[in-house]
Amino acid sequence: MRAIVIDDSRAIRLILRRIVGQAGFEVLEAGDGKQAMEVLAGLDGAPELALIDWNMPNMNGLEFVAAARGDQRLRDMTLVMVTTESEQSQVARALAAGAHEYVIKPFTSDALMEKLALLGLVPSGAQA
Amino acid sequence: MSLSPTDLAFVANLVRRESSIVLGPEKEYLIEARLVPVARETGAANVADLVARFQRSPDPRVRQRVVEALTTNETSWFRDREPFRALTDMVVPDLVRARASSRHLRVWSAACSSGQEPYSLAIDLQRTLPPGWTYEILGTDISTEMLDRARKGEFSQVEVNRGLPAQLLLEHFERVGAYWRIAPGLRRAISFQQLNLAVPMPAMAPFDVVFLRNVLIYFDVETKRSVLRSVGRLLRPDGWLFLGGAETTIGVDDNYVRVTTGRTSAYRLRSGAPMAAAGKG
Amino acid sequence: MSIEMAPTVKDLLFIMEQVWLSYMDPEGIDPLIPIDDEPVASEIHAWVAITGPWEGNVLVTCSRAQARNVAAAFLAMEVEEVPDEDVADVVGEMANIVGGNVKSMLPPGCALSTPYFVGEGEGPFRSPDAVCVAELVGRWRNELLSIAMWQGRNERVEVAA
Repeated sequence: MRAIVIDDSRAIRLILRRIVGQAGFEVLEAGDGKQAMEVLAGLDGAPELALIDWNMPNMNGLEFVAAARGDQRLRDMTLVMVTTESEQSQVARALAAGAHEYVIKPFTSDALMEKLALLGLVPSGAQA
Repeated sequence: MSLSPTDLAFVANLVRRESSIVLGPEKEYLIEARLVPVARETGAANVADLVARFQRSPDPRVRQRVVEALTTNETSWFRDREPFRALTDMVVPDLVRARASSRHLRVWSAACSSGQEPYSLAIDLQRTLPPGWTYEILGTDISTEMLDRARKGEFSQVEVNRGLPAQLLLEHFERVGAYWRIAPGLRRAISFQQLNLAVPMPAMAPFDVVFLRNVLIYFDVETKRSVLRSVGRLLRPDGWLFLGGAETTIGVDDNYVRVTTGRTSAYRLRSGAPMAAAGKG
Repeated sequence: MSIEMAPTVKDLLFIMEQVWLSYMDPEGIDPLIPIDDEPVASEIHAWVAITGPWEGNVLVTCSRAQARNVAAAFLAMEVEEVPDEDVADVVGEMANIVGGNVKSMLPPGCALSTPYFVGEGEGPFRSPDAVCVAELVGRWRNELLSIAMWQGRNERVEVAA
């Protein structure tokens, strides 16, 4: 299984890589939505999971979610926002745009793993 | 004063027995550091004194605090998920048939801690009960501090990240400052009360569903038996009991029968008749 | 925004405690301890600007050594191993996380900039009449760290490259 981590913070990308890597995913990275699209265009098939920050230059997380949902090839990717945007209206916008789940920073690795279990991407009770 | 290797082993064994969590030698620093507040709370001079007192006179409350301090970080919503799935997919349809005349369910969250369990139950019942049905949930805990927190229904960012689907966060919470607070509509059906499971319980109207999860592990066998007996008296004859993942009535109390569903189990009273009171209310 | 509704030091502490539990100190044994009345070395500044119905910034200030400690803990690396650019990134991300959490306590419609980071010799962008709404100073690993909310027009807000 593959996951793409999309965040303009290298530190966050590292933390997410570590967590989902330990859960058995092969991890790809991108620093913004536009770069993520480029990485995905070069792939065979689509990753199962995308972890997406909101505030990024060039193409932000919300725009990426909308683009991914509109793209035939990327339709089946599970989209999880991982962001500091924590207002209810923002959560609602992201889910309405097609994000499947929403993790608010700061997040513990247990919390992220539980969200992935909710989505059926890792077995229940899996620990990072 | 640092813990001796014998004391460290004692604590590690206690935790492993009570929670199945293994604290290896690399976690020694964690044991000492996390027990400092527990020592303070219980009036022990230091961690070594805490352990010595506990060994002399094992108080279940201290045992619980020690195990909690070394194992739990935060509680999850819909903890372990499967029991809640069993509730919505098996128990609610069963009770909807059985309570067709009253159209009301009584549910007890018997170790409700900071409230995630009763509120999770409310979210699921609200979602799955047919229109026109009502429910009430009683959340009890031995700790008045926890009950105060549960009553407030305010949770931090880190707490709402644990096991709560984002859609439910939107539907059932409102943002209040840095917290997320349970919406008033959901709170109405829930009341909180202090209750110590290990002593004779107050008389209460019986319940259709009891969640008694991850609390029996803190008790010795005799107390487990008496708790299950008391709970059995407060359970409707066709009611349902849920225990924690590592817990069972098998070998402890013969009055229950286990019903396996999916990857979890629930328990019902064996005879289907109310349990005889053993001379005590 | 009325004074009563402004985020307070307690709110900043609450948010930082969660940052600590999530990234810096998952075991809960190495917390940030709030202290009063000690000046914080201002060698490193990282901030996010907030614009919209409320204007200001959320600023992290500390010594170079502390910035490196923070980055090392965040990334679970040894202090010597952390690349310089990751120090900036982590402290900026800390400002970002606090800023994001604080933003939800402000009037709706505010936006957060991407993080800025400056090292020694420079200060954050701030208008002269900016007011400090709340500041938390804490001790961690024998060094201090400050996180502060300033209200005031942001002199220069650029879309970060």
